[in-house]
Amino acid sequence: MIDTALRFRISVDTGGTFTDVLVTDGDGRMTIGKALTTHGRIFNGMREALTVAAAEIGLSLGDLLARTGLFTYGTTRATNATVTGKTARTALLVTRGFPDILVLREGGRANAHDFSRDFPSPYIPRRHTFEVSERTLADGSRPQPLDEADARRVIAELAAGGYEAVAVCFLWSIADAANEICMGELLDEVLPGVPYTLSHRLLPVVREYRRASATAIDASLKPLMQEHLRGLEQDLRASGYENDILVSTTVGGVMLIEELIAAPIHTVKSGPAMAPVAAATYSGIEGLGDNAIVCDTGGTTFDVGLVRDGELTYSRDTWLGPTWTGHLLGISSVDIRSIGAGGGSIGWLDDGGMLRVGPQSAGSEPGPACYGRGGTAPTISDAACVLGYFNPDAFLGGRMTLDVQAARDAIAPLARRMGRDIEETAWGMISIANELMIKAIHEITIAEGVNPRESTIVAGGGAAGINIMPIARELGCEKVVLPKAASALSAAGMQFADIVKEETATLITSSAGFEAARVTAVLDDLAGRLRAFLSTLGPDAAVRADIAFIAEARYLGQVWQLDTPIADPTPLAAGEVSDLVEAFHRVHERVFAVRDPGSPVEFVNWKARLRVALPTGAGRRRLAIATGTPPVAATRRCFFGEGAVETPIHRGADLAPGHRIEGPAIVEEATTTLVVYPGTAATVSPTGNYLLSCL
Amino acid sequence: MSETKPAIDPILTAVISNRIDGIVREMTNTLLRAARSAVINSARDFSCGICTADNQLLACADGLPIHSFGASLQTATMCRLHDDIAEGDAFLHNDPFTGNTHPADHTFLVPVFVEGEHLFTAVAKAHQADIGNSLPTTYHVTAKDIYEEGALIFPAVRIQRNYEMNKDIVRMCEARIRAPAQWHGDFLAGLGAARIAERRLKELCAKYGNDVVKSFVTDWLNYSEQRMIHAVRRLPAAHVINHGAHDPIEGVIPDGIPIKVDMAIDPEAALITVDLRDNIDNVDCGLNVSEACTISAVLTGIFNSLPPDIPKNAGTFRRVRMLLGEGKVIGRPSFPHSCSVATTNVADRLVNCVGAAMASLGEGHGVAEGGIGMGPGMAVISGRDPRDGSDYVNQLIIANNGGPASSRADGWVTYELPDGSGLTYRDSVEIDELKHPMRFHHVRLVPGSGGAGRFRGSPGGDVAYGPIDQPMTVIFPCDGQVTPPKGVRGGHDGTRAVAWHIRADGSTAPLPPATNITLQPGESIRGLDCSGGGYGDPLDRDPARVLRDVIEHWETPERAEAIYGVALVSGGVDGEPVVDAEATAARRAALKAAHSA
Repeated sequence: MIDTALRFRISVDTGGTFTDVLVTDGDGRMTIGKALTTHGRIFNGMREALTVAAAEIGLSLGDLLARTGLFTYGTTRATNATVTGKTARTALLVTRGFPDILVLREGGRANAHDFSRDFPSPYIPRRHTFEVSERTLADGSRPQPLDEADARRVIAELAAGGYEAVAVCFLWSIADAANEICMGELLDEVLPGVPYTLSHRLLPVVREYRRASATAIDASLKPLMQEHLRGLEQDLRASGYENDILVSTTVGGVMLIEELIAAPIHTVKSGPAMAPVAAATYSGIEGLGDNAIVCDTGGTTFDVGLVRDGELTYSRDTWLGPTWTGHLLGISSVDIRSIGAGGGSIGWLDDGGMLRVGPQSAGSEPGPACYGRGGTAPTISDAACVLGYFNPDAFLGGRMTLDVQAARDAIAPLARRMGRDIEETAWGMISIANELMIKAIHEITIAEGVNPRESTIVAGGGAAGINIMPIARELGCEKVVLPKAASALSAAGMQFADIVKEETATLITSSAGFEAARVTAVLDDLAGRLRAFLSTLGPDAAVRADIAFIAEARYLGQVWQLDTPIADPTPLAAGEVSDLVEAFHRVHERVFAVRDPGSPVEFVNWKARLRVALPTGAGRRRLAIATGTPPVAATRRCFFGEGAVETPIHRGADLAPGHRIEGPAIVEEATTTLVVYPGTAATVSPTGNYLLSCL
Repeated sequence: MSETKPAIDPILTAVISNRIDGIVREMTNTLLRAARSAVINSARDFSCGICTADNQLLACADGLPIHSFGASLQTATMCRLHDDIAEGDAFLHNDPFTGNTHPADHTFLVPVFVEGEHLFTAVAKAHQADIGNSLPTTYHVTAKDIYEEGALIFPAVRIQRNYEMNKDIVRMCEARIRAPAQWHGDFLAGLGAARIAERRLKELCAKYGNDVVKSFVTDWLNYSEQRMIHAVRRLPAAHVINHGAHDPIEGVIPDGIPIKVDMAIDPEAALITVDLRDNIDNVDCGLNVSEACTISAVLTGIFNSLPPDIPKNAGTFRRVRMLLGEGKVIGRPSFPHSCSVATTNVADRLVNCVGAAMASLGEGHGVAEGGIGMGPGMAVISGRDPRDGSDYVNQLIIANNGGPASSRADGWVTYELPDGSGLTYRDSVEIDELKHPMRFHHVRLVPGSGGAGRFRGSPGGDVAYGPIDQPMTVIFPCDGQVTPPKGVRGGHDGTRAVAWHIRADGSTAPLPPATNITLQPGESIRGLDCSGGGYGDPLDRDPARVLRDVIEHWETPERAEAIYGVALVSGGVDGEPVVDAEATAARRAALKAAHSA
């Protein structure tokens, strides 16, 4: 049962290095705890961070857990396991004649003239791929039912080979699942306890590569994630927590832990998916509308996501690793575009005399030269350091000092070759990094037909404050928020996330010859499955629930679908498809700037998305408005493109709601540095976030 | 050629070139996702670029190599034929005699005016599913001239004035092109892509001002030339003559088409000269290579051998001098010879021939030859769909010609053809079976087929399919059945292409390279694609790579021993073999001695 009484709500985000804990009370007051992630037993690090937070609230850990209504867990475990290849020994079973589905993929590569790289290995090795005699066709006919003798022979090989998980993806199992189901039953009989995934259950969409890829990833994660999540559940119970455990998912929602034990693929890339959830919330509570662009700048990557009309945007083209050469996740996931640009990105001059930034990064070891850990390559962080943006004596709230001379020494050779001084060169590096980020933002906003000028930028990540204002100005965005919790945007998003569950089915029909009865049956079935799930959440959840229907549609002849909202499914039952067709025209026009009113519209996949809103205290707590001028802690010489300027430095802790700072100025927060460029201003909002604007 | 150019602005050049790249990518995204025909939206057979008003190629991110490098010939034609070009114009061009690749590539040219000045021309080119040819294929190999070929030709015809469509042209196309609704969707998508570029280029100029943008153009082309100068200076001085050939086709080109590439590398002058004048005259079939395709194929072969991040534009091209003959099968075709198949067959051989010539410069240079030929897996299929009585015509892109090995990596598996070089997308079996009344029997790679080498070519594919319920016409203009893709520097050749007709009783008959066959229900067609050639002596291949190839079924244990000289013995995990280092060394020494004897 989902307990919606407003008690404590805990979210825990376990990253590769740190475990972030956020505790909110019923008024939305936030307490943060942090500890090193303990990979052996995840709960140890979590307990340490929780104990810190509990102490700050004035409770014991046991008391805090006993008074907590909701516990949300986010983990990079599945993502890391797939990236490092530390997943289960998994067999892939496919239709005889088609063994290379994961090898051949869907084609495409980044550079036609690059012959310096080997072709990527398939997610499941070829030697672990087995063909089974069976065949179903597009119309659901089965010219060859599963050959049981052949299937048993393959299963015997699996048993002998010590496989820990099995992925089954047969052609057209989405048109008739009998052969896959039969295969599953044989696996149950002969290999009881070995987890498997059937493609038509996990991802009933057409296109064998993406379905097989998702199926393989899911199966390969099952043994690991089942043990991980069950272990966590036991540890939490033993510590006195009695309510539901939710886990964040790649669709930007949270789900019951049992659901993710059954389909762990949904935890992959769940961390980045939480940033847009935070963005939607912050944009909302600051009254800045329901279109947002969320930018998360870390040490090595820059992630962009969108919120359009208050909704997250989704993609079926999310890759684990690089586009085309990684592995396609296949499932619907929050659309996040990631580029290799961050504080650690390295500046260099190519042999044509042009300044470049990245994609090489100094990473966290040795890191930027200014960190003094032996790095000598000039990074974006070094550029910011040279320009005076960082406090060298007390960086990141005093947790480290910076070596300005090392930063200058790193940039000097570049400056010499360019015939510019060090500051100009540093400024150029940051300008070029900005450009790369602007292009990434353009690509996602264009793909979704969103106008950046009408959107709010929500900035997150440790390096967010360095360049968010020039980026916003370039995009013409007048509304920018840097949340107080900018450095932990994903953990913040988990505090605000809804329970989200999707069900999908393929049924191909067209506006010319619309199969009303079959569509209605599909939508009813999808909704029925979601309602059955909802009923397990209890009466409180039911009143907060909403089911939305989406058709994945295209003009006849196109192959890439667009998500088209079905405002009201009722008329479809009577064959009245005009509203849905018009909705598709509108989406197509928004995304591609053209509509083709004469063309039939083809509907391919049907989705139902259940959303159960969970209570949050976000935005309830309003702080008193301060009067007077913001206190200046110090001044420093900073460089903003032309000459050095004596610049006031503010400490975040000294600022209060209502304070307004006009650039040039620097605001030093414990986990990030905000550069208020000349011609821009920052105001502290009543909820404690920074609102940035151009003058 | 002057070597001293004024220094570029290292920061502004980076900033604006990044913007221009973003604009071309936005064009690409628009065309890819809004297009109707599978050849564009699934196979990605299209490209976008931007030329300057004085007809220099400025940018062509992500474009198919064979499409991209001749775009300026088309904008030059637009300027030459029209002295009243104005804002709001758009032109359709597909004439291979005035700069296009081949008639199937409909090209949309939009002149971009800023403050009344023509600064750029946006170019969006897309291979159409049909262009009204006399046969339902856009690759009409047997057409003796353009009249038999039958395509509607648009020599930079104005299709929009003041942003208003000339509907006469649209109606002409609709009256003459098969599946007209599909064509019209692609037409709108192509035009939309060019218009997107217009909008963005105007925004760019509004931000920086025309003068800064113009000086950027100069800087960018000079910068690109500088990158190319450095790359050419790293090559050894050489004069190389390399030969290749397209296979004979019975009744069309009984002797095949010989290819001769005469290439001179002058590192001191930082200049590559490619002389193609000594090639045969035009042939009376669709295999003539247009000027645009000749230029693109040569440049592709060169770029495949240079650092991959060198920009591809008019600045870079200054360092490649091409000498082309008139009325030649490779070079400038004479009217009315057909260039229907100009983008693939002979052009693919030309890409290979140039790449292999580069390999002859020495260790570390060039690439082997890549898989060629459009067999059953890249055929144009047509027929009647019994599900709704409609006619269908489309090109399949589900073959798998293996990629060539280089001095640093094995061949790219989803290479498809030298002219696309792996950028194209592959069809999904399920999508093809959904769209057409057909059934695939298998789609797989052939283990052990990749050309052996220190780095090996990618294996080729094996595909078989047939119609359901109704007859299906299958047309393809294949190559590679006689002369396989060659290995270089001691690497072995790739495998040849083969095609069979499989009758209802299971008996098989080989099919000629140029096939036009109607399959009855119960019959099917099967094709083996070429694999890629190898690079370097297989006896020098890292034994760990050979082991991995065997374990992962890329190679056979027999070939590992016989060709790679690697002795594998049991003893690995999961019953997998391991390398016997001592026995391998001995075996390799013996094989080397035998080879040199």
